[in-house]
Amino acid sequence: MVAFRNTDPSGRTTGLLVRCVLYSLLALGLIIVDKRYDHLGRIRRLLSIVAYPVQIAVASPFEGWDWFRESVTTRDALRADKAKLEAELRLAQFHLQRYEALEAESQRLRALRDATRDVTDRFVIGNVMDVDLDAFRERVLVDKGAQDGVFVGQAVLDAGGVFGQVARVGQLTAEVILLSDATHAIPVQVNRNGLRTVAVGTGDMSRLKLPYLPTSADVIVGDLLVTSGLGGGFPPGYPVGTVAEVKRDPAQSLAEVEVKPAAALDRSRELMFVWLKPQPAAPAATPAAPPAAAHTAAAGPAPGSAPVATAAAAAARAASAAAPSAPPAPAASAAGANDE
Amino acid sequence: MMRDTRLRRLPMALSALVALALAVLPLPTALDPFRPDFLVLVVFYWSIESPRAGGLTLAFVAGIALDVIKGVVLGQHALALTLMSAWATHLRLRLRVFSMVSQCLTIFALLTGYQFVLFWIDGATGNPVTTFGRWLAPVIGALLWPLLTALLGHLHER
Repeated sequence: MVAFRNTDPSGRTTGLLVRCVLYSLLALGLIIVDKRYDHLGRIRRLLSIVAYPVQIAVASPFEGWDWFRESVTTRDALRADKAKLEAELRLAQFHLQRYEALEAESQRLRALRDATRDVTDRFVIGNVMDVDLDAFRERVLVDKGAQDGVFVGQAVLDAGGVFGQVARVGQLTAEVILLSDATHAIPVQVNRNGLRTVAVGTGDMSRLKLPYLPTSADVIVGDLLVTSGLGGGFPPGYPVGTVAEVKRDPAQSLAEVEVKPAAALDRSRELMFVWLKPQPAAPAATPAAPPAAAHTAAAGPAPGSAPVATAAAAAARAASAAAPSAPPAPAASAAGANDE
Repeated sequence: MMRDTRLRRLPMALSALVALALAVLPLPTALDPFRPDFLVLVVFYWSIESPRAGGLTLAFVAGIALDVIKGVVLGQHALALTLMSAWATHLRLRLRVFSMVSQCLTIFALLTGYQFVLFWIDGATGNPVTTFGRWLAPVIGALLWPLLTALLGHLHER
């Protein structure tokens, strides 16, 4: 600023250069500190409060329009809606009765197996804000943040199934990374036969892929994939997607499997944040992983890199679990692929 | 000259705020890759038009605002904007006598440089975006430049 007051043309140029170098070094320093250490988390949270009015200002006209459209709906339309919803509710209740019976039965069976991992959880509903973050990354902004207890790595669901996980937390808002983001991986299980693997995002909201399944793996079109709960980030048993396409090339060792996500990644407006119940004792199958993962997620080291890191760890674990007879090399490469 | 400086702060801040809002305005997914970097164009405009009213400071602050609102590594947009707006300030005397076509070409070069710095930091911090989509924004931005200069010129001549 001071250097700039100089009216001498040559003096002005040096002022510009000095300030440019100064600001660039400052920005570079910020990048390094933000990437390497966690000191900026608090500053970021505070800055996100400053950004909140802008985000609200951008989102509110759209919300206002929705509200307006909703309030001018005619009585007939509302009645038709009500009748439809009542019919749906009856159907849902009917299904729910069966579901409760099934759940009770499942609880009994689990108790028999002495592997009770009850994770019925606490939920908080958040709304997706009408704000575009980045055209080339699958992320959304949700109006719940640190003050609601949201933490980095937390699982996020929608009405259809798993939606993604929290990538960064602000005081009032949180960024959720979608399942379909190219850097996201989630440990899954084929519901039909319990085959465990990892579903990786493609950058396309309408599909995921299973890149670590051998050609001989027992997976067919229409298989339901659910979360396996390995890695501790996601609660087990929630739908992730259905297998849409299986390509087996005899010349390749791995099959190409495409999955259609269960959650409406491109349409959902209401998301559920999930708190896992603390598990009394970690089962022997997943040695000490869930508490450790939960701990790192709560502490939130290096925002943004945490979900990827836990996903990679889960990938390694799931891959080695899926193919116990295989040498450890594929597991290592799986982890490496996700770690980048 | 000195007394304008203060007068220009208001249109500067206002236009930057509007551009920041435009940067996160929801667009249909199909149109999203075509979104020009409005805030970058506005910062370039003020760096060229009145660098003394705080061109580089505006660039740095706007960059930090973009980092926070887009949720990327803190300092990424700040670095890119500082470097490119310093370059724009350096070129400003020549830019003023350029024809509109050459101005647009220069702005295109600056915007491409900006995207390149972003691209480089994305790669260095381990979240590379390798689609060609991101190189579209400079083209659209350069095409919008005449419109923007007319609009902002109108704003601060009042």
